[in-house]
Amino acid sequence: MKFGDLARMRHIITFSLSPFEQKIFPNFFSEILPNTWRRFRGSFFRIAPPTALGYMVYSWGTNNHKESKRKKPEDYANDE
Amino acid sequence: MTSIRKSHLTLKALNESMIDLPAPKNISAWWNFGSLLSLCLALQILTGLFLAMHYTSDISTAFSSVVHICRDVNYGWLIRSIHANGASFFFICIYLHIGRGLYYGSYLNKEAWSAGVILLLLVMMTAFVGYVLPWGQMSFWGATVITNLLSAIPYVGENIVQWLWGGFSVDSATLTRFFAFHFLFPFGIIAMTLVHLLFLHEKGSSNPVGINSNADKIYFHPYFIYKDLIGFAWFALFLITLVLFIPNLLGDPENFTPANPLVTPPHIKPEWYFLFAYAILRSIPNKLGGVFALLASILILLIVPILHTSKWQNFAFRPLAQIFMGLLVVDVAILTWIGGMPVEPPFIIIGQIASFLYFFLFLVFFPLSGWLENKMLES
Repeated sequence: MKFGDLARMRHIITFSLSPFEQKIFPNFFSEILPNTWRRFRGSFFRIAPPTALGYMVYSWGTNNHKESKRKKPEDYANDE
Repeated sequence: MTSIRKSHLTLKALNESMIDLPAPKNISAWWNFGSLLSLCLALQILTGLFLAMHYTSDISTAFSSVVHICRDVNYGWLIRSIHANGASFFFICIYLHIGRGLYYGSYLNKEAWSAGVILLLLVMMTAFVGYVLPWGQMSFWGATVITNLLSAIPYVGENIVQWLWGGFSVDSATLTRFFAFHFLFPFGIIAMTLVHLLFLHEKGSSNPVGINSNADKIYFHPYFIYKDLIGFAWFALFLITLVLFIPNLLGDPENFTPANPLVTPPHIKPEWYFLFAYAILRSIPNKLGGVFALLASILILLIVPILHTSKWQNFAFRPLAQIFMGLLVVDVAILTWIGGMPVEPPFIIIGQIASFLYFFLFLVFFPLSGWLENKMLES
């Protein structure tokens, strides 16, 4: 892999605007916010459900184990 | 007139791997962990070398030599703390590096991936023998538990274990050879790292979009030299915070007690980075079965390239695979938690289900998701 021996490129044309001729946050409410929501939707709802499930398992397991180490009040109900 | 960095035999190798190397323009922070691992290795070797100047590997003096390093050697406390916490950071980086490899399909470079799995095994072995060296309670008992697993091998198991121990139990002979191994293995890691990089540079790095990036490569220097330096700065920040403010956060208090073969600690467990494998080992009631599961939990990575069914290289455009990846990460977190818990209900059943899920994800869910996503693409 060497520069000069990578890929054949043809008809490459690039256009750009001077930073003095454009806004820094164009179309903030019409494009930027919807796009942020789109990107959030694309990852959050794939990561959050397994994480929530994992937390529920951890929480249930810890509480269940703690309960198993406690005495059961029913066993001592008829004492004295 | 070619510059010396391109013509000199040794400098040429350095030039083609770190200066004029064509790199994809769009590689993200997930691509920083490779260089961070090299930094970890260099740091561990440097701090380890200074520790080795003052450490003694005989059982009568090992623990007190570590105390001597921390109290009397100039900045010994700092070197020791960097080395101990540096090991944890080594594993943080390695697991994130592997996670990147799984998510972005880097395993399709099979040779580099296989070299990487061997590196993981070497690093795990180095860390295991290294943890024995302070000769604390957890050092001794952790070594006893794990080395005893080899006795599960039919017919020759007992002999192998005694050969490894250099006696009939973990004792001075074991400690001295573990020190030798801990010094030796990092050089094997260096050699394997060069092999890993050799295979990587054959095809070049992948990128977050997963398409061929040959049409849009940039020079490694200065762009990724500086990006890697920023990664080093973040790494140094997190490491030094741990080293200076909470140096014992990831350690076990049991290791502040000198090793005593007559007193078994109530909860023997390895360091956090081995807990997921420890949970998988304990999930099978049979000793040999547990050992196989333990080995399989790491070696399964070797067959991941064969199980790739998707038309896409990475998970960026594969929603099912993304969910399963999230499930895998959470499953490993659950296994890590379970590995640190005692073998009591309900941790037993949770550990068994999580262990089953770990293998099921690699062997069934990931290939199935690839097949389903290909079908969705066709329709």
